[in-house]
Amino acid sequence: MRPRGSSKSKRSSRFRAFRLILLSGVLLTLTLIFLVSTLGSQKFGMLHKLIFEATGPVQQVFAGATRYVVGFKNDYIDLMGVRDENKRLWEELQECRAVAYRNREALATNARLRKLLEFKKRSGLSMLSTRIAGKDPSLWFRTVIIDRGSSDGVMKGMPVVTDAGIVGQVFTVSPNHAKVLLAIAPSSAIDVLLQKSRVRGILKGTGSLTFKLDYVLKTVDVKEGDHVVTAGYGGLFPTGMPVGVVSKVIRKRRGMFLEIEITPAVDFLTLEELQVIEQERPFTE
Amino acid sequence: MVVVVFTLLGLLLIVMQTTIFMFNPLWVAAPDLYYILVAYLAYRFDLLRGLIIIFPLSWTLDVFSGVVLGTYPMICFGAFLLLKVMAAKIAVRESLYQIPLIGVSYLVISKMVHLVLSFFEPGTITPWSWVDMGIRVALMILLAFPLFRFFECIYKRLQRSFIPYKMLRVRVGNRYRQENG
Repeated sequence: MRPRGSSKSKRSSRFRAFRLILLSGVLLTLTLIFLVSTLGSQKFGMLHKLIFEATGPVQQVFAGATRYVVGFKNDYIDLMGVRDENKRLWEELQECRAVAYRNREALATNARLRKLLEFKKRSGLSMLSTRIAGKDPSLWFRTVIIDRGSSDGVMKGMPVVTDAGIVGQVFTVSPNHAKVLLAIAPSSAIDVLLQKSRVRGILKGTGSLTFKLDYVLKTVDVKEGDHVVTAGYGGLFPTGMPVGVVSKVIRKRRGMFLEIEITPAVDFLTLEELQVIEQERPFTE
Repeated sequence: MVVVVFTLLGLLLIVMQTTIFMFNPLWVAAPDLYYILVAYLAYRFDLLRGLIIIFPLSWTLDVFSGVVLGTYPMICFGAFLLLKVMAAKIAVRESLYQIPLIGVSYLVISKMVHLVLSFFEPGTITPWSWVDMGIRVALMILLAFPLFRFFECIYKRLQRSFIPYKMLRVRVGNRYRQENG
Protein backbone atom coordinates (compact mmCIF):
# COMPACT_ATOMS: atom_id res chain seq x y z
CA MET A 1 0.00 0.00 0.00
CA ARG A 2 1.36 3.42 -1.10
CA PRO A 3 1.23 6.29 1.31
CA ARG A 4 -1.46 8.91 0.78
CA GLY A 5 0.90 11.88 1.16
CA SER A 6 3.09 10.86 -1.78
CA SER A 7 0.20 10.87 -4.31
CA LYS A 8 -0.86 14.29 -3.05
CA SER A 9 2.56 15.88 -3.58
CA LYS A 10 2.79 14.34 -7.06
CA ARG A 11 -0.46 15.99 -7.99
CA SER A 12 0.66 19.32 -6.62
CA SER A 13 3.93 19.21 -8.56
CA ARG A 14 2.09 18.46 -11.76
CA PHE A 15 -0.25 21.41 -11.14
CA ARG A 16 2.72 23.70 -10.54
CA ALA A 17 4.29 22.66 -13.83
CA PHE A 18 1.06 23.30 -15.62
CA ARG A 19 0.79 26.76 -14.12
CA LEU A 20 4.30 27.58 -15.15
CA ILE A 21 3.74 26.46 -18.69
CA LEU A 22 0.49 28.43 -18.82
CA LEU A 23 2.13 31.60 -17.49
CA SER A 24 5.03 31.24 -19.88
CA GLY A 25 2.63 30.75 -22.74
CA VAL A 26 0.62 33.83 -21.78
CA LEU A 27 3.78 35.92 -21.41
CA LEU A 28 5.15 34.68 -24.70
CA THR A 29 1.87 35.39 -26.40
CA LEU A 30 1.75 38.91 -24.93
CA THR A 31 5.34 39.53 -25.92
CA LEU A 32 4.64 38.36 -29.42
CA ILE A 33 1.52 40.52 -29.60
CA PHE A 34 3.54 43.51 -28.26
CA LEU A 35 6.37 42.94 -30.66
CA VAL A 36 4.10 42.42 -33.64
CA SER A 37 1.97 45.42 -32.75
CA THR A 38 5.00 47.64 -32.08
CA LEU A 39 7.16 46.61 -34.97
CA GLY A 40 4.27 46.34 -37.28
CA SER A 41 2.39 49.57 -36.68
CA GLN A 42 5.28 51.64 -35.22
CA LYS A 43 2.73 53.24 -32.97
CA PHE A 44 3.58 54.77 -29.55
CA GLY A 45 0.87 52.88 -27.77
CA MET A 46 -0.82 52.94 -24.42
CA LEU A 47 1.77 50.72 -22.83
CA HIS A 48 4.57 52.91 -24.00
CA LYS A 49 2.88 55.92 -22.52
CA LEU A 50 2.26 54.10 -19.29
CA ILE A 51 5.93 53.13 -18.99
CA PHE A 52 6.94 56.59 -20.02
CA GLU A 53 4.81 58.20 -17.33
CA ALA A 54 6.00 55.74 -14.70
CA THR A 55 9.72 56.08 -15.42
CA GLY A 56 9.75 59.80 -16.25
CA PRO A 57 9.74 61.06 -12.65
CA VAL A 58 12.42 58.55 -11.66
CA GLN A 59 14.51 59.76 -14.54
CA GLN A 60 13.97 63.33 -13.45
CA VAL A 61 15.11 62.55 -9.94
CA PHE A 62 18.25 60.84 -11.18
CA ALA A 63 18.99 63.56 -13.69
CA GLY A 64 18.57 66.20 -10.98
CA ALA A 65 20.84 64.32 -8.62
CA THR A 66 23.43 63.92 -11.35
CA ARG A 67 23.25 67.61 -12.17
CA TYR A 68 23.65 68.47 -8.51
CA VAL A 69 26.69 66.21 -8.11
CA VAL A 70 28.29 67.52 -11.32
CA GLY A 71 27.52 71.11 -10.28
CA PHE A 72 28.95 70.55 -6.83
CA LYS A 73 32.10 69.01 -8.30
CA ASN A 74 32.48 71.90 -10.74
CA ASP A 75 31.93 74.45 -7.97
CA TYR A 76 34.53 72.74 -5.82
CA ILE A 77 37.05 72.68 -8.64
CA ASP A 78 36.26 76.32 -9.41
CA LEU A 79 36.67 77.21 -5.76
CA MET A 80 40.08 75.59 -5.73
CA GLY A 81 41.02 77.63 -8.79
CA VAL A 82 39.48 80.82 -7.43
CA ARG A 83 42.07 81.10 -4.68
CA ASP A 84 44.92 81.01 -7.17
CA GLU A 85 43.08 83.31 -9.51
CA ASN A 86 42.32 85.70 -6.68
CA LYS A 87 45.99 85.76 -5.71
CA ARG A 88 47.04 86.35 -9.29
CA LEU A 89 44.47 89.10 -9.79
CA TRP A 90 45.45 90.72 -6.50
CA GLU A 91 49.09 90.76 -7.56
CA GLU A 92 48.07 92.24 -10.91
CA LEU A 93 46.05 94.90 -9.10
CA GLN A 94 49.01 95.76 -6.90
CA GLU A 95 51.25 96.07 -9.94
CA CYS A 96 48.69 98.26 -11.69
CA ARG A 97 48.34 100.44 -8.63
CA ALA A 98 52.12 100.80 -8.37
CA VAL A 99 52.34 101.74 -12.05
CA ALA A 100 49.48 104.21 -11.65
CA TYR A 101 51.17 105.71 -8.59
CA ARG A 102 54.49 106.03 -10.46
CA ASN A 103 52.68 107.63 -13.38
CA ARG A 104 50.89 110.12 -11.14
CA GLU A 105 54.19 110.90 -9.40
CA ALA A 106 55.94 111.33 -12.76
CA LEU A 107 53.15 113.62 -13.93
CA ALA A 108 53.35 115.72 -10.77
CA THR A 109 57.16 115.91 -11.01
CA ASN A 110 56.86 116.82 -14.66
CA ALA A 111 54.40 119.60 -13.89
CA ARG A 112 56.60 120.93 -11.08
CA LEU A 113 59.75 120.87 -13.18
CA ARG A 114 57.92 122.43 -16.11
CA LYS A 115 56.82 125.30 -13.88
CA LEU A 116 60.36 125.71 -12.58
CA LEU A 117 61.73 125.71 -16.10
CA GLU A 118 59.20 128.32 -17.21
CA PHE A 119 60.04 130.40 -14.17
CA LYS A 120 63.74 130.09 -14.96
CA LYS A 121 63.16 131.24 -18.55
CA ARG A 122 60.76 133.99 -17.54
CA SER A 123 63.03 135.47 -14.88
CA GLY A 124 66.05 135.57 -17.14
CA LEU A 125 68.29 134.87 -14.15
CA SER A 126 71.03 132.30 -13.98
CA MET A 127 69.69 129.58 -11.70
CA LEU A 128 70.82 126.24 -10.40
CA SER A 129 68.25 123.54 -9.82
CA THR A 130 68.54 121.61 -6.58
CA ARG A 131 66.61 119.24 -4.35
CA ILE A 132 66.18 119.11 -0.61
CA ALA A 133 68.34 116.34 0.86
CA GLY A 134 67.57 116.77 4.54
CA LYS A 135 65.56 118.86 6.97
CA ASP A 136 66.51 120.43 10.25
CA PRO A 137 65.24 118.13 13.02
CA SER A 138 65.31 120.90 15.61
CA LEU A 139 62.23 122.76 16.83
CA TRP A 140 64.19 125.99 17.16
CA PHE A 141 65.83 126.41 13.77
CA ARG A 142 64.43 126.39 10.24
CA THR A 143 67.01 125.16 7.76
CA VAL A 144 67.20 122.56 5.00
CA ILE A 145 70.13 120.79 3.35
CA ILE A 146 70.32 120.90 -0.47
CA ASP A 147 72.27 118.62 -2.78
CA ARG A 148 74.40 121.35 -4.41
CA GLY A 149 77.55 122.86 -3.04
CA SER A 150 80.54 125.03 -3.81
CA SER A 151 81.64 122.67 -6.60
CA ASP A 152 78.41 123.61 -8.42
CA GLY A 153 79.03 127.32 -7.86
CA VAL A 154 76.87 127.74 -4.77
CA MET A 155 78.12 130.42 -2.38
CA LYS A 156 77.07 131.72 0.99
CA GLY A 157 74.28 134.27 0.79
CA MET A 158 72.87 133.17 -2.57
CA PRO A 159 69.07 133.47 -2.71
CA VAL A 160 67.02 130.30 -2.93
CA VAL A 161 63.62 130.47 -4.61
CA THR A 162 60.84 128.51 -6.25
CA ASP A 163 58.46 129.58 -8.96
CA ALA A 164 56.06 130.73 -6.20
CA GLY A 165 58.52 133.04 -4.49
CA ILE A 166 61.45 133.31 -2.12
CA VAL A 167 62.47 130.38 0.09
CA GLY A 168 65.59 131.61 1.87
CA GLN A 169 69.30 132.00 1.39
CA VAL A 170 72.36 129.80 1.49
CA PHE A 171 73.82 129.79 4.97
CA THR A 172 76.78 127.39 4.82
CA VAL A 173 78.42 125.56 1.95
CA SER A 174 80.54 122.45 1.52
CA PRO A 175 81.77 121.09 -1.85
CA ASN A 176 78.62 119.08 -2.57
CA HIS A 177 76.02 120.30 -0.11
CA ALA A 178 74.71 123.53 1.32
CA LYS A 179 72.54 124.55 4.22
CA VAL A 180 69.72 126.94 3.39
CA LEU A 181 68.30 129.26 6.03
CA LEU A 182 64.58 129.40 5.33
CA ALA A 183 62.92 132.81 5.20
CA ILE A 184 60.56 131.70 7.99
CA ALA A 185 63.52 131.24 10.39
CA PRO A 186 63.66 133.81 13.18
CA SER A 187 67.22 134.73 12.20
CA SER A 188 66.27 135.51 8.59
CA ALA A 189 65.88 139.14 7.55
CA ILE A 190 65.16 140.26 3.98
CA ASP A 191 64.59 143.68 2.46
CA VAL A 192 61.11 143.85 0.95
CA LEU A 193 58.62 146.31 -0.53
CA LEU A 194 54.89 146.65 -0.29
CA GLN A 195 54.14 146.35 -3.98
CA LYS A 196 51.34 148.95 -4.11
CA SER A 197 52.77 151.69 -1.90
CA ARG A 198 56.44 150.89 -2.66
CA VAL A 199 57.18 151.26 1.06
CA ARG A 200 60.20 149.37 2.28
CA GLY A 201 60.33 147.07 5.31
CA ILE A 202 62.33 144.23 6.78
CA LEU A 203 60.81 140.78 6.48
CA LYS A 204 61.54 138.60 9.49
CA GLY A 205 60.72 134.93 10.04
CA THR A 206 58.65 133.86 12.99
CA GLY A 207 59.53 130.16 13.04
CA SER A 208 55.98 129.29 11.98
CA LEU A 209 54.27 129.56 8.61
CA THR A 210 54.10 133.37 8.66
CA PHE A 211 56.46 136.30 8.29
CA LYS A 212 56.34 139.61 10.08
CA LEU A 213 57.08 142.86 8.38
CA ASP A 214 59.03 145.29 10.54
CA TYR A 215 59.78 148.99 10.30
CA VAL A 216 56.70 150.09 8.33
CA LEU A 217 55.47 153.42 9.67
CA LYS A 218 51.93 153.85 10.95
CA THR A 219 51.34 156.59 8.41
CA VAL A 220 51.59 154.08 5.55
CA ASP A 221 48.34 152.77 4.11
CA VAL A 222 48.61 148.98 4.33
CA LYS A 223 45.65 146.67 3.81
CA GLU A 224 45.11 142.94 4.05
CA GLY A 225 45.72 141.34 0.68
CA ASP A 226 48.53 143.73 -0.32
CA HIS A 227 51.35 141.96 -2.06
CA VAL A 228 54.91 142.01 -0.75
CA VAL A 229 57.91 141.63 -3.06
CA THR A 230 61.67 141.67 -2.64
CA ALA A 231 63.26 145.12 -2.67
CA GLY A 232 66.51 144.10 -4.29
CA TYR A 233 68.61 146.40 -2.10
CA GLY A 234 72.11 145.13 -1.57
CA GLY A 235 71.83 142.96 -4.65
CA LEU A 236 71.09 139.83 -2.75
CA PHE A 237 67.57 139.07 -3.97
CA PRO A 238 66.47 140.28 -7.40
CA THR A 239 63.84 143.04 -7.28
CA GLY A 240 60.17 142.15 -7.49
CA MET A 241 60.25 138.49 -6.48
CA PRO A 242 57.02 137.40 -4.75
CA VAL A 243 57.31 137.14 -0.98
CA GLY A 244 53.74 136.89 0.27
CA VAL A 245 50.49 138.64 1.01
CA VAL A 246 49.58 140.84 3.98
CA SER A 247 47.24 138.80 6.18
CA LYS A 248 46.98 140.95 9.31
CA VAL A 249 47.69 144.61 10.14
CA ILE A 250 47.78 145.70 13.78
CA ARG A 251 47.92 149.40 14.70
CA LYS A 252 48.93 149.73 18.33
CA ARG A 253 48.52 152.98 20.18
CA ARG A 254 52.13 153.00 21.21
CA GLY A 255 55.14 152.89 18.93
CA MET A 256 55.91 154.26 15.49
CA PHE A 257 55.52 151.11 13.44
CA LEU A 258 52.76 148.83 12.33
CA GLU A 259 52.68 145.14 13.20
CA ILE A 260 52.16 143.37 9.92
CA GLU A 261 51.76 139.63 9.40
CA ILE A 262 52.53 138.18 5.99
CA THR A 263 51.38 134.83 4.62
CA PRO A 264 54.24 133.40 2.51
CA ALA A 265 53.78 132.91 -1.21
CA VAL A 266 55.74 129.67 -0.97
CA ASP A 267 54.25 126.63 0.72
CA PHE A 268 57.07 125.66 3.07
CA LEU A 269 55.42 122.36 3.94
CA THR A 270 55.73 120.97 0.43
CA LEU A 271 59.17 122.16 -0.61
CA GLU A 272 61.00 119.72 -2.88
CA GLU A 273 62.79 121.26 -5.85
CA LEU A 274 64.46 124.63 -5.37
CA GLN A 275 66.40 127.12 -7.48
CA VAL A 276 69.58 128.80 -6.32
CA ILE A 277 70.04 132.16 -8.02
CA GLU A 278 73.66 132.35 -9.11
CA GLN A 279 75.46 135.59 -8.46
CA GLU A 280 78.90 136.68 -9.50
CA ARG A 281 79.51 138.62 -6.32
CA PRO A 282 79.76 136.27 -3.39
CA PHE A 283 78.40 137.16 -0.01
CA THR A 284 81.29 138.19 2.23
CA GLU A 285 81.80 135.87 5.18
CA MET B 1 85.05 98.34 18.29
CA VAL B 2 82.08 99.19 20.50
CA VAL B 3 82.94 102.88 20.19
CA VAL B 4 83.15 102.70 16.38
CA VAL B 5 79.90 100.77 16.05
CA PHE B 6 77.98 103.08 18.35
CA THR B 7 79.40 106.15 16.62
CA LEU B 8 78.21 104.83 13.26
CA LEU B 9 74.88 103.94 14.79
CA GLY B 10 74.56 107.50 16.08
CA LEU B 11 75.31 108.91 12.65
CA LEU B 12 72.71 106.61 11.14
CA LEU B 13 70.13 107.79 13.66
CA ILE B 14 70.88 111.42 12.80
CA VAL B 15 70.52 110.75 9.09
CA MET B 16 67.20 108.99 9.74
CA GLN B 17 66.05 111.83 11.90
CA THR B 18 66.80 114.46 9.26
CA THR B 19 65.26 112.54 6.37
CA ILE B 20 62.54 109.97 6.94
CA PHE B 21 61.24 111.36 10.23
CA MET B 22 60.99 114.95 8.99
CA PHE B 23 58.06 115.17 6.61
CA ASN B 24 58.39 118.92 6.22
CA PRO B 25 60.71 121.61 7.62
CA LEU B 26 58.23 122.41 10.42
CA TRP B 27 57.39 118.85 11.41
CA VAL B 28 56.99 118.55 15.17
CA ALA B 29 56.34 114.83 15.72
CA ALA B 30 59.88 113.73 14.91
CA PRO B 31 61.59 111.87 17.77
CA ASP B 32 65.04 113.05 18.83
CA LEU B 33 66.68 109.66 18.35
CA TYR B 34 70.16 110.98 19.02
CA TYR B 35 69.11 111.95 22.52
CA ILE B 36 68.00 108.39 23.31
CA LEU B 37 71.45 107.21 22.26
CA VAL B 38 73.09 109.84 24.45
CA ALA B 39 70.96 108.64 27.36
CA TYR B 40 71.92 105.03 26.71
CA LEU B 41 75.59 105.99 26.57
CA ALA B 42 75.23 107.80 29.89
CA TYR B 43 73.69 104.74 31.53
CA ARG B 44 75.83 102.03 29.95
CA PHE B 45 79.21 103.44 28.96
CA ASP B 46 82.03 104.83 31.03
CA LEU B 47 82.80 108.55 30.87
CA LEU B 48 85.67 108.37 28.37
CA ARG B 49 84.05 106.08 25.84
CA GLY B 50 80.77 107.98 26.13
CA LEU B 51 82.44 111.29 25.40
CA ILE B 52 84.37 109.82 22.48
CA ILE B 53 81.09 108.74 20.87
CA ILE B 54 79.22 111.94 21.67
CA PHE B 55 81.89 114.21 20.21
CA PRO B 56 81.37 113.29 16.49
CA LEU B 57 77.67 112.85 17.11
CA SER B 58 77.12 116.39 18.36
CA TRP B 59 79.42 117.77 15.69
CA THR B 60 77.40 116.10 12.96
CA LEU B 61 74.18 117.42 14.47
CA ASP B 62 75.62 120.91 14.42
CA VAL B 63 76.36 120.49 10.72
CA PHE B 64 72.89 119.19 9.85
CA SER B 65 70.87 121.48 12.06
CA GLY B 66 70.72 125.02 13.32
CA VAL B 67 72.54 128.26 12.75
CA VAL B 68 74.40 128.54 16.03
CA LEU B 69 77.42 126.26 16.18
CA GLY B 70 77.85 124.57 19.51
CA THR B 71 74.16 124.14 20.26
CA TYR B 72 74.21 120.37 19.98
CA PRO B 73 77.49 119.81 21.81
CA MET B 74 75.91 121.81 24.64
CA ILE B 75 72.80 119.61 24.60
CA CYS B 76 74.62 116.29 24.18
CA PHE B 77 77.42 116.82 26.70
CA GLY B 78 75.03 118.45 29.15
CA ALA B 79 72.57 115.58 28.88
CA PHE B 80 75.32 112.96 29.12
CA LEU B 81 76.78 114.42 32.27
CA LEU B 82 73.39 115.12 33.85
CA LEU B 83 72.14 111.59 33.22
CA LYS B 84 75.42 110.10 34.40
CA VAL B 85 75.10 111.95 37.70
CA MET B 86 71.41 111.08 38.00
CA ALA B 87 72.07 107.42 37.22
CA ALA B 88 74.79 107.31 39.88
CA LYS B 89 72.61 108.93 42.52
CA ILE B 90 69.38 107.05 41.83
CA ALA B 91 68.64 103.90 43.82
CA VAL B 92 67.49 101.76 40.86
CA ARG B 93 70.44 100.70 38.72
CA GLU B 94 68.56 98.93 35.93
CA SER B 95 68.74 101.15 32.86
CA LEU B 96 65.22 100.34 31.63
CA TYR B 97 63.70 101.71 34.82
CA GLN B 98 65.52 104.98 34.24
CA ILE B 99 63.73 105.72 30.96
CA PRO B 100 61.37 108.37 32.42
CA LEU B 101 64.47 110.27 33.46
CA ILE B 102 65.33 110.73 29.80
CA GLY B 103 62.21 112.84 29.25
CA VAL B 104 62.87 114.92 32.33
CA SER B 105 66.51 115.48 31.47
CA TYR B 106 65.55 116.34 27.87
CA LEU B 107 63.20 119.06 29.08
CA VAL B 108 65.72 120.42 31.59
CA ILE B 109 68.63 120.52 29.17
CA SER B 110 66.54 121.91 26.31
CA LYS B 111 65.16 124.69 28.48
CA MET B 112 68.63 125.58 29.74
CA VAL B 113 70.12 125.67 26.23
CA HIS B 114 67.14 127.67 24.97
CA LEU B 115 67.70 130.21 27.72
CA VAL B 116 71.41 130.43 26.96
CA LEU B 117 70.78 130.90 23.23
CA SER B 118 68.02 133.44 23.84
CA PHE B 119 70.42 135.42 25.99
CA PHE B 120 73.58 135.23 23.87
CA GLU B 121 72.04 134.93 20.38
CA PRO B 122 68.71 136.75 20.60
CA GLY B 123 66.41 136.46 17.60
CA THR B 124 67.98 133.32 16.21
CA ILE B 125 65.68 130.68 17.63
CA THR B 126 61.94 130.15 17.70
CA PRO B 127 60.06 130.87 20.94
CA TRP B 128 59.80 128.06 23.49
CA SER B 129 56.69 125.93 23.02
CA TRP B 130 55.59 123.55 25.81
CA VAL B 131 53.20 121.77 23.45
CA ASP B 132 55.87 120.99 20.87
CA MET B 133 58.36 119.98 23.54
CA GLY B 134 55.70 117.79 25.18
CA ILE B 135 55.14 115.96 21.91
CA ARG B 136 58.87 115.42 21.50
CA VAL B 137 59.26 114.15 25.07
CA ALA B 138 56.30 111.77 24.71
CA LEU B 139 57.72 110.39 21.48
CA MET B 140 61.12 109.97 23.05
CA ILE B 141 59.79 108.08 26.05
CA LEU B 142 57.73 105.92 23.72
CA LEU B 143 60.73 105.04 21.58
CA ALA B 144 63.27 104.81 24.39
CA PHE B 145 62.32 101.29 25.46
CA PRO B 146 62.60 99.59 22.02
CA LEU B 147 65.73 101.58 21.19
CA PHE B 148 67.33 100.70 24.53
CA ARG B 149 66.59 97.03 23.85
CA PHE B 150 68.12 97.40 20.40
CA PHE B 151 71.24 99.15 21.74
CA GLU B 152 71.56 96.57 24.50
CA CYS B 153 71.31 93.76 22.00
CA ILE B 154 74.08 95.28 19.87
CA TYR B 155 76.21 96.00 22.93
CA LYS B 156 75.97 92.42 24.20
CA ARG B 157 76.62 91.00 20.78
CA LEU B 158 79.74 93.13 20.38
CA GLN B 159 81.00 92.07 23.79
CA ARG B 160 80.40 88.38 23.05
CA SER B 161 82.27 88.29 19.81
CA PHE B 162 85.29 90.30 20.88
CA ILE B 163 86.67 88.49 23.89
CA PRO B 164 89.54 86.44 22.45
CA TYR B 165 91.83 87.60 25.21
CA LYS B 166 90.20 85.11 27.54
CA MET B 167 91.17 82.31 25.23
CA LEU B 168 94.70 83.63 24.78
CA ARG B 169 95.22 84.29 28.47
CA VAL B 170 98.39 82.70 29.88
CA ARG B 171 97.39 80.24 32.53
CA VAL B 172 99.87 79.28 35.22
CA GLY B 173 100.18 75.91 36.86
CA ASN B 174 98.59 72.63 36.03
CA ARG B 175 94.96 73.11 35.08
CA TYR B 176 94.26 69.37 35.12
CA ARG B 177 93.84 67.09 38.08
CA GLN B 178 96.85 64.95 38.63
CA GLU B 179 96.55 61.13 38.72
CA ASN B 180 96.92 59.67 42.15
CA GLY B 181 99.84 57.33 42.57
